[in-house]
Amino acid sequence: MAKLDPATAIAIFLLTAGGLALAILSDGYTPFILAMVALTTITGVGLNVLLGLTGQVSFGHVGFYSIGAYAVGVLTLKGVAFPIAIVFAGGLAGLVGALFALPALRVTGPYLAMMTIAFGFLVEHGTIEWRSVTGGHNGLMGIPQPALTSSINGERAMALIAVVVAAISLLLFDILNRGTWGRSMIAVRDSETAASGIGLKPVVVKTAAFAISAAFTGVAGGCYAALFAFISPSNFGFLQSILFLLAVVVGGAGFTLGPVVGAIITVLLPELISGLAEYRVLFFGLLLLIVLWIAPDGIIGGLKQRFARARPRPIGNREIDISAFLGTGEPASRAGGLEVSGLSISFGGIKAATNVALSAKPGLVTALIGPNGAGKTTVLNMISGFYKPSSGSIRLGGEELAGAPASTVTRAGIARTYQTTQLFGSLSVLDNILLGLRKGHLGNPFGQLAGQNNVTVAEGLLTLVGYRGDLDLPASALPHVDRRLVEIARAVATRPRVLLLDEPAAGLSAAEKEHLKSVLRVLADAGLAVMLVEHDMALVMGLCDHIVVLDAGRPIAEGVPQVIRSDARVRAAYLGSGTVKPPPRGEPFPEGGEIVLAARGVKASYGAVPVLHGIDLEVRQGELVALLGSNGAGKSTTMRAVSGLLRPIGGVIQLGGRDVANDAPHRIATAGLALVPEGRQVFPELTVRDNLELGAYSRGSADIVAEINGLLSRFPRLRERLEQRAGLLSGGEAQMLAVARGLMSKPRILLLDEPSLGLAPAVVEELYQVLAELRNSGVTLLLVDQMAALALSIADRGYVLASGRIVHTGNATELAGDPALDAAYLGRTNSTS
Amino acid sequence: MILASAVVSGLSLGAMYGLIALGFHVTYVVSNTVNFSQGSSVMLGAVLGYTLGVRYGLPMPVAFLLALVGCALFGILIERILVRPFVQRGSNAWLMATVAGGIVLDNVVLFTFGKEPRSFPSDLATRPIDIGGVGVFPLQIIIPIVGIGIAVALWFVTRHTRQGKALLAVVQNSDAAKLMGIDVNRMIVATYALSTAMAGLAGLLIAPLYNVHSEMGMLFGIKAFAVAILGGITSAPGVMAAGFIYGIGEALVTALFGSTYTQIVMFAIVIAALAAMPNGLFGRAPVKKV
Repeated sequence: MAKLDPATAIAIFLLTAGGLALAILSDGYTPFILAMVALTTITGVGLNVLLGLTGQVSFGHVGFYSIGAYAVGVLTLKGVAFPIAIVFAGGLAGLVGALFALPALRVTGPYLAMMTIAFGFLVEHGTIEWRSVTGGHNGLMGIPQPALTSSINGERAMALIAVVVAAISLLLFDILNRGTWGRSMIAVRDSETAASGIGLKPVVVKTAAFAISAAFTGVAGGCYAALFAFISPSNFGFLQSILFLLAVVVGGAGFTLGPVVGAIITVLLPELISGLAEYRVLFFGLLLLIVLWIAPDGIIGGLKQRFARARPRPIGNREIDISAFLGTGEPASRAGGLEVSGLSISFGGIKAATNVALSAKPGLVTALIGPNGAGKTTVLNMISGFYKPSSGSIRLGGEELAGAPASTVTRAGIARTYQTTQLFGSLSVLDNILLGLRKGHLGNPFGQLAGQNNVTVAEGLLTLVGYRGDLDLPASALPHVDRRLVEIARAVATRPRVLLLDEPAAGLSAAEKEHLKSVLRVLADAGLAVMLVEHDMALVMGLCDHIVVLDAGRPIAEGVPQVIRSDARVRAAYLGSGTVKPPPRGEPFPEGGEIVLAARGVKASYGAVPVLHGIDLEVRQGELVALLGSNGAGKSTTMRAVSGLLRPIGGVIQLGGRDVANDAPHRIATAGLALVPEGRQVFPELTVRDNLELGAYSRGSADIVAEINGLLSRFPRLRERLEQRAGLLSGGEAQMLAVARGLMSKPRILLLDEPSLGLAPAVVEELYQVLAELRNSGVTLLLVDQMAALALSIADRGYVLASGRIVHTGNATELAGDPALDAAYLGRTNSTS
Repeated sequence: MILASAVVSGLSLGAMYGLIALGFHVTYVVSNTVNFSQGSSVMLGAVLGYTLGVRYGLPMPVAFLLALVGCALFGILIERILVRPFVQRGSNAWLMATVAGGIVLDNVVLFTFGKEPRSFPSDLATRPIDIGGVGVFPLQIIIPIVGIGIAVALWFVTRHTRQGKALLAVVQNSDAAKLMGIDVNRMIVATYALSTAMAGLAGLLIAPLYNVHSEMGMLFGIKAFAVAILGGITSAPGVMAAGFIYGIGEALVTALFGSTYTQIVMFAIVIAALAAMPNGLFGRAPVKKV
């Protein structure tokens, strides 16, 4: 059994003792009210499992309450003893809950809300119609009340029973919450993806939560029947479900004592304030709103936040024998790593990966690289079981894993990390690792998460990856680098044979990257097959033993770093071949025009991940400026920050001299900045004409028809497609449309983010022809293109970005031959930048 | 004959469900949120119409118009205080907040309008006319026409006006819509106003067939939500079709097995349908991202 929290245990003990004393000593109405508080607490505990641990809302829990009540009513009227009846009531409600959960949990959000509402109504009307058993509208009368002794009977006896059951419920919740199952429920809530990535089966966990929740509620309903001695369907209406939810939310969902606090308030308050009885429901509605607004974590949550001080729990410095832990000592396990062959998948007819073959051998670090959109993460998702490949084989030590679900793949020995870290944010660092150690094997529902042995192992793993922080810190509070490290430790905790990492270095500083390299090297030396997808070429070239290069979903090269770096196909895939010959500018761009767009010290981050560390750039009237850099350098983030889609956390962005850094994107657009976003982003269900009209939205009603006609002379291919849905356009046509749509706003500056991405060479040539013409006609342009040679062929000036900083700038012809540019894209083995 | 009259009443019920469900649809597609107090908006429309038109004797068209404006304002209020604050926090507590908002409105009406159900007199619902041997109130013919009319008007507006197209742009790609200079927040407020106004219209139309009271909207709202989910909340025609399917289904079950089984059968069908088709009858599965 998991251990109780001492403070919580004392609180429960005091509440129980007080409740029992009150039940024995008080008279009149009080035992009844006390019993109602206890019943609401039990139901609240049930809902707390669902709402507090798995984050699911049920608007139909009164159905389980009703099932429990009728079970006890029918059985005890037939002479069955109350204790047996109440156990049966809980069991029946739990069983119905499990059966209902199986279809219901296939859906989420409003769909699940609808399922639970329908369930509540189904039970309500079922009890109305099943007259032979339930007595229909008239209900059941004369339900016997258990007597404890000859003098303690009736409501007093029920109050005592209910208080004891409530106390047991609270203790069970605390044990569940701290144990493996409760932690797993929270894990599934925080990240279903990562939960299956450590071997959990989300459906099983969620179904168990629903069944446990229903069982508690059924027990409460059973007590209700005995307390009132009369039940009818009108006691179990939709509104009652809402009141149950209210009690949990008011008290604090997810906290052991939340339901009891909520129950005391929602039951007692209307009784205490005389005259409120009539306005009871109105009061509840307002109370729920006020709590949601000002104390979203409920009363307990609010108190904890204000008064509870976390005791620091520094990590012990533990050495761990990693190869013993992984069981990689024996030579047998070193043989045979991951073998992937013929792997293909397509999404909506588009091939994202074709015939991918690669292997990851124990003891080696293998990199999977390629330009943006090459299909690297897609391959990783197939190997780890998140996508089902349409064909191909994924073998680990002879076991075929292609198409198996993620939890099976993890249990077979493949662990992974994610592009955006997916730690279980509300669990502590330690619990994240301990859950990883379970590898999906959960044990009994009230079992302990881990003994001291496992805590020691977890500390060892955290020490190994270099985590030096607090063990009890919630993972969501970690700085970015620690998230990466803890996520690696969690993956290693599942004792994998293969470790997959998706862009582990993204967002890390140079020193942090060096540390990451050494950690991955240690893991590989311990006999793990390490495979990473990574954009940081310096890291890849410096760390990896073997590199596989993908382009457009196909493997184009593989070998050791030296071979890959000098491979012409790889160079072309990354930098472009530079064979396109767009028309030159008539005469060189004059110095010193008016500055249209300027960024000064712009910083931006995605959540906790810092991406831009202070960008300075400017674009002058009529100039074409290229923004260059490898994948992940921050080019697209700069575009998003400048256009307002991502609010910068620091710096100034001037458009025509006015600071727009804090403006909403639609205001920036109206002020004259048009972004042609990465991936074109045309409105697929609207016609080409409508897309163009929307481009002019910010200018109100001008003579759009004439303007569209004028613009189409530049984009002849769009003219034929004018009345077609934009979703039917080819990639090249869609890109032309996106550019034309941007021009429709008559912008002061047009920004283009990766316009050539995924286009055939001939189409790219046509596109760059158009861009060069726009430049020559005086349009101000800021261009991001991964194909550096291509972008420089039409640019006047360029900036080179690396790791969120401008590292180089110069005019286009100088930059094109600069070795610094090569380094930014393909890395240097001995680079420290 | 029984079946024919069941179909007639099913059509008008279904049109109402469809109209209210369209309200769920429009807010969901632009903002991924729904207003769970839609049922209360139905009631609000009827209560305002009754109060202004019957109690204060305003001309009916004026009373109707004011009632709809009142409902639209209620929708704006819902979005501003019960939805947006939670969405901005990244919380889904708007779900419970809008339920609570509905409860509050129902009770405020209960204590101001009164507990007694009022009948809403209408010439259109007093003398049935005979159509092929089936007695039909003129209102029962008007309701499906209005319902379909509104749906068609909505379709027309979104395809042929500047703001309508902007709304579709927000639905299809809200980031790209922002880049066009479209104020997405304003669009979301507008859909909330539209959605409660449509619910209010449904309330006004059915008021003469049912009584006007503070709790009249709840079951309507829940059934309409079932319709929206059943149709696949992302598809407007799907939602409207599901409205008619549900309305006619309900009327047929009532005619064949008696009204006692209506709710059981219909809610069981909803659960079964969702279990078999988790995205509704006409909805599409979203792409899973890792």
